[in-house]
Amino acid sequence: MKLLVCVSKTPDTTTKVSFTDGDTAFDTQGVQYIMNPYDEWYALVRALELKESAGGTVTIINVGTADNDAIIRKGLAIGADDAIRVDAAGGSAYFVAKQIAEQAKAGSYDMVFFGKETIDYNGSQIGAMVSEMLDMPFISYATKMDMAGNTATIARDIEGGQEIVEVDTPFVLSAAKGLAEQRIPNMRGIMQAKRKPLNVVPAVAVDEKASIVSYALPPAKSDCRYVDAENMDELVALLHGEAKVI
Amino acid sequence: MANYISMDNLRFVVHEMLHAEKLCSFPRYQDYDKESFDILMDSTKDYADKVMYPSFKEMDEDPARYDDGKIYVHPVVGEVMKYAGENGSIGALFDYDLGGMQLPHLIHSALAHIAQCANNSLPGYTGLTAGAAGLIASFGEKALIDKYVPNMLSGKWGGTMCLTEPQAGSSLSDITTSASPSGDGSYQIKGQKIFISGGDHEYCDNFVHLVLARIDGAPAGTRGISLFVVPKHRIAGDGLESNDVITAGDFQKMGQKGYCTTHLVFGENDNCQGWLVGTEHRGLKYMFQMMNGARIDVGLTAASIATAAYHASLQYAQERPQGRRILSGGVKNVDAEQTTIIKHPDVRRMLLLQRAITEGSVSLLMQASLYHDLSQAGPEEDRERYHDLLELLTPIAKTYPSEMGQISISNGLQILGGYGFCTDFPLEQYYRDIRITALYEGTTGIQSLDLLGRKVVMKNGEAMKHLTKEIIDTIQAAENYDELKPYAAQLKNASKELQDTIMHLLKFAMSGEHERFIADATIFMDFMSTVVHAWQWLKMATVAKTALVTDNKTFDAAFYENKIHTMRFYFKYELPKISSCKTTLLNDETLTIPEEHQSVLA
Repeated sequence: MKLLVCVSKTPDTTTKVSFTDGDTAFDTQGVQYIMNPYDEWYALVRALELKESAGGTVTIINVGTADNDAIIRKGLAIGADDAIRVDAAGGSAYFVAKQIAEQAKAGSYDMVFFGKETIDYNGSQIGAMVSEMLDMPFISYATKMDMAGNTATIARDIEGGQEIVEVDTPFVLSAAKGLAEQRIPNMRGIMQAKRKPLNVVPAVAVDEKASIVSYALPPAKSDCRYVDAENMDELVALLHGEAKVI
Repeated sequence: MANYISMDNLRFVVHEMLHAEKLCSFPRYQDYDKESFDILMDSTKDYADKVMYPSFKEMDEDPARYDDGKIYVHPVVGEVMKYAGENGSIGALFDYDLGGMQLPHLIHSALAHIAQCANNSLPGYTGLTAGAAGLIASFGEKALIDKYVPNMLSGKWGGTMCLTEPQAGSSLSDITTSASPSGDGSYQIKGQKIFISGGDHEYCDNFVHLVLARIDGAPAGTRGISLFVVPKHRIAGDGLESNDVITAGDFQKMGQKGYCTTHLVFGENDNCQGWLVGTEHRGLKYMFQMMNGARIDVGLTAASIATAAYHASLQYAQERPQGRRILSGGVKNVDAEQTTIIKHPDVRRMLLLQRAITEGSVSLLMQASLYHDLSQAGPEEDRERYHDLLELLTPIAKTYPSEMGQISISNGLQILGGYGFCTDFPLEQYYRDIRITALYEGTTGIQSLDLLGRKVVMKNGEAMKHLTKEIIDTIQAAENYDELKPYAAQLKNASKELQDTIMHLLKFAMSGEHERFIADATIFMDFMSTVVHAWQWLKMATVAKTALVTDNKTFDAAFYENKIHTMRFYFKYELPKISSCKTTLLNDETLTIPEEHQSVLA
């Protein structure tokens, strides 16, 4: 099986978010980056499990500049066989989807894995776009996946319950919590990662369909209110009258 | 999960201050680069979050215990030994041809810091195993290495160092454990060892003890001590058989309760075999290779416990509302909401003290680890200089975090008020856990004697000259910035006062008054440690200032500004304490030498 896993670079979860260029761009100064956890913990690890049980290769792909090589290296350290980086400074979800689709087509992969969303922009768009561009089925928010031959049985969370889907390869999947368990790269894997192939390819031209007008932070949280543990009436009144949650 | 470490601070020290990636230009470390160092640190943090920190409190509540001849420890010990063996981290510092990873000491120390911050009862199990295997690899014959080292690096067998005996602790010249030649190349070992960390538990198939003992007829004192490999189970054919090493108990301690501390009896039935490591009578010299590394490790443990405690008290101070700020005119608005205690100046003073002690300690420990790398793998012509610097700084890197870390945590506990004394919060555990670090691997008194009596005067003061040069380089770099000039001048003056005090004390050594020379070695340790950490703080502040003015920032501007602020705090609140030390050391009254005041403590 040939498996392709798409990985994104996202700001560390402790990052203090601010904007620049008239609130049209994220201010990257002093920001520490990580691999998007949904890509790393669930999509990549499930792909590696499939490779370990049925053979094949796992390739990771990222769209970005050389600054992204650190998170690509981590993916290789966890166990991917090789990597592709489409050399571009980034762009809209459509731009990124186009780049990934081009490489996926060229590589004839049996499955293309995404995390269900990135933890920065939370767009959840690229997987669906890529499946459309590749004319493949798309199963989103997968929480469990079993393979029998070329057929996958996939559980996905839906409102109030679960849906079970059967699909033949090739297909595109987005991974949610539960699909696999986080793997921590070991020291030997980290050393080997440096020697695994990282192929840098140029981006294809894309006509952007949308542009960012502005970003804004959510309203600041109000101060905590402390209620005496003995005063349940006041707590209930506040939750009902002010917070309006009961 | 509670925060227990600042990864940003660690990255700052490792990369921006010490430029770890430059080590990769040396052949020994050429397979590494900055990215691999970063992945290693991040992965260690992930593992610490997932496995180590969750068992931190549990190991205290369910301590190691002795029952019916066996030691029982928390199951996470087995998990960590297995992981560390498979991961390659027990053999991280070893040569490739021994199955190691040739990782730089600097990065190894950074990883150890992360692990120790998460759970200080755990890393000793793997660390001592690595240290014991290192001794065999360095001084043992090939057959001994082949027999023991692979199983130790894989985590299947544990390793220990056995020095202390019931009657011989700091004074190793008084050990009595004996080694009698058996005639087949092995020795019959007989004696008892106490305070053996990680000495026995159910999660390793075997334990390889590195035992100091006297061969029959050996000279008295430390010159007659040899080093032996004494396994709990000796190799017999394809299996193992008992080697007459009995676990007699587990010491119940005030802290680090999850880290077993055993009492071992060797040769109770005259059937305990040991194998000589290296040459006879050179055991203590060999052991000191491990001891020096272990002393840096203990300093790291202390700095890490204090770091975790700082983050716990910082979080509490940010969340705990109590009292109101004093307004102009000295009044308080009693109708206003309470302020969080981090707004009170005295609480801020305590937090800044914690930060100054912990980040200063981490900085020096990483600096010492870098010197270790440079002394082993750096340019040939510089290796001796870096070795001397490491030798000189080792007692300080062990003692300052151990002693000042206690003060740091005590201040953290104070911030929590009565809750600091309660088990609902981790401060009381940190306060108990750190206490051992000023005791094991050489007490503060022993470290201070080593610093003043050996290291300061070694090679006619050559190491001190190297350190002074390093301090001067830092002062000159700081003088490039107007904002830092006053602090550079303050450090220059402190360094001169240190030199003057050394010259004053040396007069006693040169006139044969050796006991007087070293009588106040602990005060001298306090003095020199404070100056050395001022050097580290000025160095950090200079790097931070450079990042701020050159627009080359890995972190946001506030990070660098806060570094400089903490340096200013150290220079205002801590560095002036050297005046008190100097006054005491220059005072000619002798009040602690027994013959002169026999009755005062009668």
